[in-house]
Parts: sequence; structure tokens; C-alpha cells
Amino acid sequence: MKSSNNDPADNTVGVENSETEKRFDLTTLPTETSAQKLIRRIDLPVQLTRIAILAFILWIWQSRKIFSGIKVFGVEILPEIIPLFQGVPTEAWDYVTQVWDDSLFWQDFWVTLQEALLGFLYGSLSGFIVGMLLGRFKRAQKVFSPFLIFTNAVPKIALAPILILWYGVDIGSKVALATIIVFFIVQIPVMAAVSGVDPDLDTVATSMGATQMQKFKLVVIPGILGPLFGALRLASIYAILSVVFGEFLASKRGLGQRLLYQINNFGMGAAIALMSLLAILALIFNAGIGFMERKFLRWQDDTTRGNVVSL
Amino acid sequence: MTTNAVSLKDVSLIFGGQDTEHVLAVDTINLEIPQGQFVAIVGPSGCGKTTILNMLSGLIKPTVGSVQRHGQEVQGPSRDIGYMLARSALSPWRTARKNVELGLQIHGVGKSERKERAEELLELLHLEGFANAFPSQLSQGMRQRVAIARTLAIDPDLWLMDEPFGALDAQTRLVVQAEFVSLWEKSKESTVIFVTHDLEEAVLLADRVLVMTARPGRIKSDNLIDLPRPRVIDELRFDEKFKAAEHKIWRELRDEII
Repeated sequence: MKSSNNDPADNTVGVENSETEKRFDLTTLPTETSAQKLIRRIDLPVQLTRIAILAFILWIWQSRKIFSGIKVFGVEILPEIIPLFQGVPTEAWDYVTQVWDDSLFWQDFWVTLQEALLGFLYGSLSGFIVGMLLGRFKRAQKVFSPFLIFTNAVPKIALAPILILWYGVDIGSKVALATIIVFFIVQIPVMAAVSGVDPDLDTVATSMGATQMQKFKLVVIPGILGPLFGALRLASIYAILSVVFGEFLASKRGLGQRLLYQINNFGMGAAIALMSLLAILALIFNAGIGFMERKFLRWQDDTTRGNVVSL
Repeated sequence: MTTNAVSLKDVSLIFGGQDTEHVLAVDTINLEIPQGQFVAIVGPSGCGKTTILNMLSGLIKPTVGSVQRHGQEVQGPSRDIGYMLARSALSPWRTARKNVELGLQIHGVGKSERKERAEELLELLHLEGFANAFPSQLSQGMRQRVAIARTLAIDPDLWLMDEPFGALDAQTRLVVQAEFVSLWEKSKESTVIFVTHDLEEAVLLADRVLVMTARPGRIKSDNLIDLPRPRVIDELRFDEKFKAAEHKIWRELRDEII
């Protein structure tokens, strides 16, 4: 419809306003069935490639080809290893089936799990609280930071023998070692994250008359959850690492103790099984933290969350 | 004699000292604002506009002089002040509705009452469909409207606005300005102190426009804007009386900027 007036601001010229105007109909788009959705989620090519890679690794390992002296520029990168020291996947599997019904094994499992969980809990809780307070109260940070920096610089693994003298050969010394290591893994990023919380959010809360406790609850803690979960993921792996090391040094029970015993007796298959089990334990820890992370950080994009484990 | 909603007597504020040089941010400000007035403060950047709001909100104390509300010295943050910052400063982990509830939560208002009040405000600001959206899912104009709703949710007696619409594009700004001014016109007797660098905005919205000098900030002139209310912001821009008022104040402001 053309307008006949001469208004310079008239903008209807050239616009067809008939009822038969062609428009894109969204309902014509094909819809995805739930079965199709599942297939897309599973992403078969990725899964098959993964399985193929795993099978290849197991095959090459089982056939002991990995030790057959690979040379790079004429230099042998893997030395000749006598068969006794090799250990293959079937030996590892044999060990798993053998200990599966052994209650002593599960007692060891429980000891290590307990040590790692307690060390993780104490270390991350104290690291979280100290990191938050020092991040918030700058003068306190000024006072304590030289002490913390020095303590953190101590190679903490070297404390293990001393901790065994102090806390004994039972779980106490392993929990103590894990606590110290986890503490710094959590405290340092939390302290940095507190300083990174948007100061405007603080100003808004202050202007509304929020108390210091309310600001911790409403501004600081929610503001640092991202870095906190990142630190916790790392801490969970280090908790297991430190208790295994502690058990290596001196212990009566535990998976680390079992592992050392097997290695000393050339039980390489068993050692591989135990190490895999410890890795699975770490992954379960990690998945638990990932679950909490997804719950608390729903507001963040999936892409901005760190995913150590993605199955 | 009734006391003024806000009064500043010989207020000066000095920043720095110790390691840094002293900076006189605002210099001997005297100002009386009656209850229910909409006052805009314009001035060049860094002239101490925000500092005045910070003193009124109780976030900082003047170096000398007295800042009073209803005849009472301002001691610290007060629950009946709504302070809106230049950036929307929404909590990214809270939905729009939860952001609006922030002040009420701090004041210890119960859950259901909070929700009701927040929904009411979101509706007033045409955001009812976005109550459960996170700030990252909202446009900048929407975020700023959520921030307005958050500021007003606590039903403040004094509204302190620090360049609240500075970051919005021209069209969105007109819409949000109109919403804001109609909310104020509907509110009974709330006092507004609106800091802006945009003179047009100041004259469109306010009853009274204060022009500040470049640092150290002093009040250079105090102008009453005699335009009828309720105001239709988008049309008022083309009104001759409006243009004359803006032009008169512009001449004052120009000397401070250029």
C-alpha cells in the first residue's frame, strides 16, 4: 500500500502489509525425538574411539610390546625390563578378583579412604576459613602472610617422617599430612578470590546496612565458589596422594601400605591394580565435588566450569 | 519549622594523606533539600558528585561539616536509604527476583513477603517474565531495571542514584528514565538525589538541578526546573520550555567542562 502524502518522515513506502505476507513458520522445523536426543548425547563416534584407544593400550601392554626398546634418534628411551618387573593387565585383574572377597583388603580400603576424607575435610575447611578471613581483613593478611608464605615453601612431603613421630603410625599422621597439604591448596586461591569479588556488590550490601556476617553469607561466599571448587578438585587428588605417601613411610594398614608391600615382593600386577583403584577413588572424590559444583554454580555457563572428569 | 529531608552544612571532604597527597574532593558544600524533592546534580567527572552520595548514604564521613537527614546526623548506613550505583552491580548467582530481594533479606524480611514485594516491583518495571532469569541472561537495560527494583524494594525514603542510566543506549535509556520518573511520581514524598553527567537527563527528570564546579567540587548554581508533572519524558525533550531551561544551565556547566 503506497501512501500519497508528502510527509518526509513517512516510512511506509515499499512495505507490503497484505495478509498473505510470507513468514517463516517455526513449527515446520523437525523436532528431535527423545531417542535421537539420547543418541546425540552419547555421541557414538567419540565413545567408540575411546574404547578403541583403551583396547589398544591394554593390548600393547599385555603383549609387553611397550618395553621392547623404542629408540628416538638412536637413544633407547625405555630400558630393558625383566619380565618379573613388568606386570600386565591380566595379572592386575587376577589380583582384583582374588581380593574382592577378602575382608582384610576392604579394611585397608576403608583405612585409606578414611585418612583421605578426614585430611581433605580438615584441610579444606581450615583453608577455606583462613583464606576467607585473611582475604577479607587486609591487616590480618599483612600480619600473617610472611608466616604462611614460609610454611607453604617448606617441602611438605618432608614433614611426613616428623608427623609420624608426632602422631604415630596409625591414621593420625596421614590425616595430618593430608590436612597440611590440602590447607595450602585451598587457602591460597580462596584468599585471592575474596579480593576478586566485585567491590560494588560489597558497597551495595553495606549501603543496605548489611552486617559483616551477612556480607560473608550474601556476597563473599557465593562470590568465591568458582575458584573454591577448582581448589577442592585439586585438593581431593592431593589428599589421596599424601595419605598414600604417608603409608609408604610407616603404617600398619592401608592401600598405600599394601601397594608398597606388593612392589617390594615384585607383585607388579597387584601394584597396578592398587594404583588403578586409588585413581578410581580420586575420580569418585572428584565426581562428588563436580556434583556439588553443578548444584551451586547453576548460574554459570557449563563452559566456564572446570571439568576434570567428563564421562 | 519542619526539618529538611537532607541538609549539608559546610561539608568538605579530603581524600588521601599519609603516603599520598591530600586531595580536596568537595569544598564547603551547603545544601538543603526538602522532603519529596527530585534533585539532580550535574558536573564534570571527578567533581565529587559520587562523594556526596557516599556521605549521604553513610558509607564515608565528611572530614569537616555536618551531614544530616531529618535533622539527625548521619552515623552510618541507614535502612531507609536506597542507593543505586552506576553499574547495576547485580549478584550474578542470584536470579532477578532474588536480586530484588537482597535488601529485604538483609533487613530480615520473611521469605514469602520478600517474594511478593519483589514480584510486585518486577511487574512495575515490566520484568515479570524474567523473575527467574540470571543477570547474565538479561540485557543491559533489563539489568539496570532489576537494580532499580532492588533499590526501591526496601521502600526507601531517600533515593540516591549515581549515574544509574549512564551505560544504557539512547533508546533504552528513554524507556528506563520514563519508568523511573513515573515510579517516583507515584511514590508519595520520596526524596531523590540523582547524580548524572547528562544535563538533558537532569532537566528532564528533576525539580531542581545543581551544577558543580570541577574539583574541588563546589555548588556553582542551584536551578529550579519549572516543568509540569507528571512528565512525559520522550515528548518533553522537544518542548520549548525544556530547551530553554537546559540551555540556561548548559552555559553554567560549559565553563566547568571546557
